[in-house]
Amino acid sequence: MKKRILSILAAALLLLPTLTALSGCGAKNADVVLKVYSWAEYIDEGGEGSYQNDIEEFDKKDAHHILDDFEAWYEEAYGESIRVDYATFGTNEDMYNEIVLGNEYDLLCPSDYMIMKLAAEDRIVPYDESFFDETNPNNYYVRNVSPYIKSIFENGTVTTQENGISSTHSWSEYAAGYMWGTTGFVYNPDHVDLEDLEALGWKTFTSEKYTNKITAKDNVRDTYFAALGLTYQDELLALAENKDEHYNETLTEIFNRTAEEYTGDVGDTLLAMKKNIYGFETDTGKQDMVSGKIWLNYAWSGDAVYALNEGEDAEEGEELYLEYFVPEAGSNLWFDGWVLTKGVEERGTKRAAEAFVNYMSMPDSAKRNSYFIGYTSVIAGEENEMLEFLRDDLEYGTEEGEKEDFYDLSWFFGEENGTVGLFADEEQRTRRQLYAQFPPQEVIERCAVMNYFDADTSERINELWTHVKAETLDAWAIAVLCVAVVAIVLFVLYVKFGAKIDFFRKKPKKGYELVERRKA
Amino acid sequence: MNIALLIVTVVACALLLGGGALLVYRLKFGRMPRFSRKTLCIPYAVFLVFFVIVPMLVILVYAFTDREMGFSFGNFVKFFSDPTKLSTIAYSIVIALITTVVCLVIAFPVAYILARSKMKKKSVILMLFVLPMWINFVLRINAIRELFNWMGLLGETNYFNTVFGMVYDFLPFMILPIYTTIMKIDESLYEASRDLGANGITTFTRVTLPLSVPGIMSGVTMVFLPSMTNYVVSDMLGNSMVTIIGKFIYEYFGSDWHMGSMVALVLLIVVFVSTLLTGGFKSEENVRGANL
Repeated sequence: MKKRILSILAAALLLLPTLTALSGCGAKNADVVLKVYSWAEYIDEGGEGSYQNDIEEFDKKDAHHILDDFEAWYEEAYGESIRVDYATFGTNEDMYNEIVLGNEYDLLCPSDYMIMKLAAEDRIVPYDESFFDETNPNNYYVRNVSPYIKSIFENGTVTTQENGISSTHSWSEYAAGYMWGTTGFVYNPDHVDLEDLEALGWKTFTSEKYTNKITAKDNVRDTYFAALGLTYQDELLALAENKDEHYNETLTEIFNRTAEEYTGDVGDTLLAMKKNIYGFETDTGKQDMVSGKIWLNYAWSGDAVYALNEGEDAEEGEELYLEYFVPEAGSNLWFDGWVLTKGVEERGTKRAAEAFVNYMSMPDSAKRNSYFIGYTSVIAGEENEMLEFLRDDLEYGTEEGEKEDFYDLSWFFGEENGTVGLFADEEQRTRRQLYAQFPPQEVIERCAVMNYFDADTSERINELWTHVKAETLDAWAIAVLCVAVVAIVLFVLYVKFGAKIDFFRKKPKKGYELVERRKA
Repeated sequence: MNIALLIVTVVACALLLGGGALLVYRLKFGRMPRFSRKTLCIPYAVFLVFFVIVPMLVILVYAFTDREMGFSFGNFVKFFSDPTKLSTIAYSIVIALITTVVCLVIAFPVAYILARSKMKKKSVILMLFVLPMWINFVLRINAIRELFNWMGLLGETNYFNTVFGMVYDFLPFMILPIYTTIMKIDESLYEASRDLGANGITTFTRVTLPLSVPGIMSGVTMVFLPSMTNYVVSDMLGNSMVTIIGKFIYEYFGSDWHMGSMVALVLLIVVFVSTLLTGGFKSEENVRGANL
């Protein structure tokens, strides 16, 4: 998700589809052409620094783009050649616009709320039943997906409208997970004390200690979520104190407060945040953390891992060991998943699309993608292969160790508590990459998914957002400006056309006559 | 089939067919066909219709419809009854105005000195001013961002940073038209001015300045209009804390095309009025060398 390239770059690249389309038609004839539309930089692109290059010690040239490997695999497994047309987007909204405009893709990779929206608007279709058949060895997704993610997808509901009849489905019918994570703060421990951060929680955004040293996201959903956490922090903390079986339901309700009775308070919070923060950012936050411009960056867990890695890899003597923190009051749980667009069956690409999802769900592919982009895959592996990935490839911990160093990940791998995990040092367990990529169960329990806003809510929240982002002048200033604008327009019209209107024309003196000037 | 591919294919085929037809004509009659001015205008007319008029109509339709595509004045009323939107327009205009004035103050002396000097290598100096235009715009703004950070201005003076970035970005667009207009002022006019007893200052105010007005006007248009919408600068140097009308349009198109179109339409009107102000529609005037 959420690795946004600069919008301007996207604009400059607008021409590219034309070029790729042109070069594509001469490139390779294939039996099937699968059109995939996903986030930019969200897949193993091979080459230097890829999993195959770093861990498997392949030569740079032999570390393939994962799409090339998929094409080869598909041809072998299904006996027909395939070409993947892979296009990328920068925001869910950009993708949605493309789909609404009628661009035909077979497979999309939107975020949670966008999946719900697409399903509700009848733009995506369910997976085939055979896709969920665990006995088929080629169904890598169902065989490898984490039981935890699986249960989230099965319990989440979406209401669809088909021929006027609304019905409720589970997410898992429409979406196969790809990456997931939380949101939280990346912070610089040289300037920010973890205990202080724990005490402040979401209030860090408005704390005078961090004036001009903290950033928020330049998109309405993420920053609105943070503002909800800030506004209702006391309520959330009280709720966490007395957890009952409805804890997550209540938590989700609070983090989805978009009704009019709440937006006033949240709006005030947003304005207070704006006064205190360094700025809103989409993708400069990571660099600004590493270069030390800011001390705190509200970030997605995958971007956090990226920032942590970057800080660590800085030149000798300049290393920066950044850390990640999820507020005690609760935070956002998000995921991106593969969905099949409407008409995929008619185009005859459904099998290929499902095969693509399955290929991406192989433990090996999951390792490659996750290593390349820093986000956490939904895949656990039949033999819990992803645990080895954390332990041996990323070297977050070891197989053996002291009892108190045990980091329990059983919840993710769907095993009995305390049976699956790794032995890691305190830093990795509580605030570094391991914590960011695979948070402990107590963190996950206090995270909530934010639903999609329906059209009216979306309009209201967006109005609120523009009011927060833009400055509003006093009424008298606006009145003066309006008068000035009208005056200017009238003056211009007078200068332009005044001479042509009798009323404005100078009357000749008595005894004189007006003669049209002769043109040269 | 991909629409973009379709368009490219159609254009390519049209070019090929046209070229082929010309070739056949040439081989058969031994000369090129003669086209009237009207015939030659057809390609431009087609271009104008598809890339200027139709998109504008689409904006118009979206601006005056609601989500169900029914005719509605809702967005119009909402826009003009919302102080934030009106303020944003005001802010954009003020930012653009300051940018334009600063550009003019810097550019005019540069253009004047360069155009009037007898230096042999003055084109090199001119090139140095224009050179930044050849470097990727995002890269330049990023460089300025680092510079501001080093100076401790980033995040502190968001509006100053935005205006600075705009000036830096659009300065060549002001220098070039003024330079070319001043270059083209006939030397004999200066001589005549001196013959008639005018001193240097009088010559400047009575000869150079009036004759360079077309260049100034075209420079003003080229700086003022884009600096109202160039939100990359305000996002990068103002940390997204400065909102100008271009950013508004971008944000609305993420969620509500109808309101986005209304904002775009209002911007169009602002542009129209300011072009009227700078005399951009005067066709009889000899706008010499005013275009790049």
